Amino acid sequence: MAKVLIPTPLRQYADKRDSVELTGATVAEVLGALTTQYPDLRKQIYNDEGKLRSFVNVYLNDEDIRYLKKEATSVASNDTLSIVPSIAGGSTGVATPPATLSNDEILRYSRHLIMPEVGMEGQLKLKNAKVLLVGAGGLGAPLGLYLSAAGIGRIGVVDFDVVDFTNLQRQVIHGTKDVGRKKLDSASERMRDINPNVQIDRYEVALSSENALEILSGYDLVVDGTDNFPTRYLVNDACVLLKKPNVYGSIFRFEGQATVFAYPGGPCYRCLYPEPPPPGLVPSCAEGGVLGILPGLIGLVQATEAVKLILGAGDPLVGRLLLYDALAMRFRELKLRKSPECPACGDHPTITKLIDYQQFCGIPQHQPAPEPGLAQGEIDPVEVKKKIDRGDRFLLIDVREPHEYQICNIPYARLIPLGELPKRVHELDSAIEIVAHCKSGVRSAKACDFLRQAGFRKVKNMKGGIVAWSDKVDPRVPKY
Amino acid sequence: MPAEAGPTKMIRIDKAAWDAMVAHAEAKFPNECCGAMIGRIDDGSKHVSAAIPMENAYAGGQGSRYELRPEDLLAAERRARETGLDLIGIFHSHPDCDAYFSKTDLENSCPWYSFVVLSVKGGKFDHAASFLPNADQTAAEKEELIWPKS
Repeated sequence: MAKVLIPTPLRQYADKRDSVELTGATVAEVLGALTTQYPDLRKQIYNDEGKLRSFVNVYLNDEDIRYLKKEATSVASNDTLSIVPSIAGGSTGVATPPATLSNDEILRYSRHLIMPEVGMEGQLKLKNAKVLLVGAGGLGAPLGLYLSAAGIGRIGVVDFDVVDFTNLQRQVIHGTKDVGRKKLDSASERMRDINPNVQIDRYEVALSSENALEILSGYDLVVDGTDNFPTRYLVNDACVLLKKPNVYGSIFRFEGQATVFAYPGGPCYRCLYPEPPPPGLVPSCAEGGVLGILPGLIGLVQATEAVKLILGAGDPLVGRLLLYDALAMRFRELKLRKSPECPACGDHPTITKLIDYQQFCGIPQHQPAPEPGLAQGEIDPVEVKKKIDRGDRFLLIDVREPHEYQICNIPYARLIPLGELPKRVHELDSAIEIVAHCKSGVRSAKACDFLRQAGFRKVKNMKGGIVAWSDKVDPRVPKY
Repeated sequence: MPAEAGPTKMIRIDKAAWDAMVAHAEAKFPNECCGAMIGRIDDGSKHVSAAIPMENAYAGGQGSRYELRPEDLLAAERRARETGLDLIGIFHSHPDCDAYFSKTDLENSCPWYSFVVLSVKGGKFDHAASFLPNADQTAAEKEELIWPKS
């Protein structure tokens, strides 16, 4: 009698036995006896053509029968036969598209599944969909949360930023405990917690002309959650070139916009804005502020459109620019038309490959950082403090807005908001030195330029503004 | 909620076993690692109490491929029997790649075990998932994986 060891998973087909004693002169005979005694084992070991399944190896004692006489190998009594699967694999090759939902997933998505507009078919579309989120900030936060919860199978996130305290007022995917962590880390942790079925691809890079086509090409659609013009044009052009819909959103102060660009037959961002505004004309949220709730609303308009595009349900927000005014609590819609003259998607496009978007938007690519030294006409906050302490005769003006002055101020400074400077310039004495400061140094640089043009000679800009003052001189001054 | 959702398939991994799996996966980075998991199955729920790291026997580049030696698997099966336990799963790692069940994984798997995939990013464990391939290795169902979160 030879002994056949039954691997754990097959014991359910063999009366739960871990070994069976059988007679037979060859491996084929012993296995034949085994599957005669336990017919259910047969289809586990043999395929429909009666051959051992591809992954099944049979060992006679310690030797693979493939290197003996295969199934004709003789078997003596006291021999032991083992059934061992051959196992290999690797991350190469794409994940196989799932054809079904697991029971867990059916339970999780039950509120989707009972609606005929989604149903099993729609939920599988969501599961097989690949969506790229550019940015894990204000818009990216609600997008990441809800797209994960909705069951998008694969979500790529592009972000290289770190969570800071000023993000928490609106970027709800990150928590207070995440301050100082990479946004990618805290966002993907939160998304995975919401829905472990989602595959999250992390791109800890700044999207650039060099990497955009490669990154975007792996996704069905792109959701733009960026906050700057170069990346917005880059995302638009890359989507047009790759023919992938670009679900666009933008926010500023109390107002937001959303639409779907680069949809077949629809307009693109360049149809609306062929050229970027001059640098500095449109303030960023960091400069102009944003109502913390606003990106939640606009981000979820984008998430809704993304899900609709995947499902093929409803009317997509194509050719319509949705405008939202939070203070008036009013939505409006502007009609957008695809422009035949559009340099990206028009009849004779001139944008046939990605360009240098920093340069296109008038931003020097690599700003020579005058970090250690000071540029002409700048003064370090530490020097300003020394001047005050020494009792030097000079005037420190704060060119921020009154509501910012209320948040924090340098008591020695006189408040003259930048916008009031022209009509209050007579208050200033051109004979004495003037130092201007704002929050971080941008507006005070404009104030200095204005004063110089107005004939003031002894004008200096306090480098880094009141934020640098807080860092270098007086940490009791809060940063905002 | 539906009244009946069917039994949840689940695999739970003990800390000692999990630590050995993660250590093996991180040590072999940027290559794929592999090994077997030993434990018990009670009422369809799997409980892994030991992990046996194995050598990756794939003959080519091991950054994105692995292969288990059947001899190693046989030895693991024997060791399990000696301790009154069962061989219930296989693990391997995906370096700088998410823990999904790739086409390669599926085609070279077998329907008898749980397949745990550990995603290792930049040399550090990132996340993991477990899969149950079907009889014809044409699809794999995801299984709930519970590991000690230290």
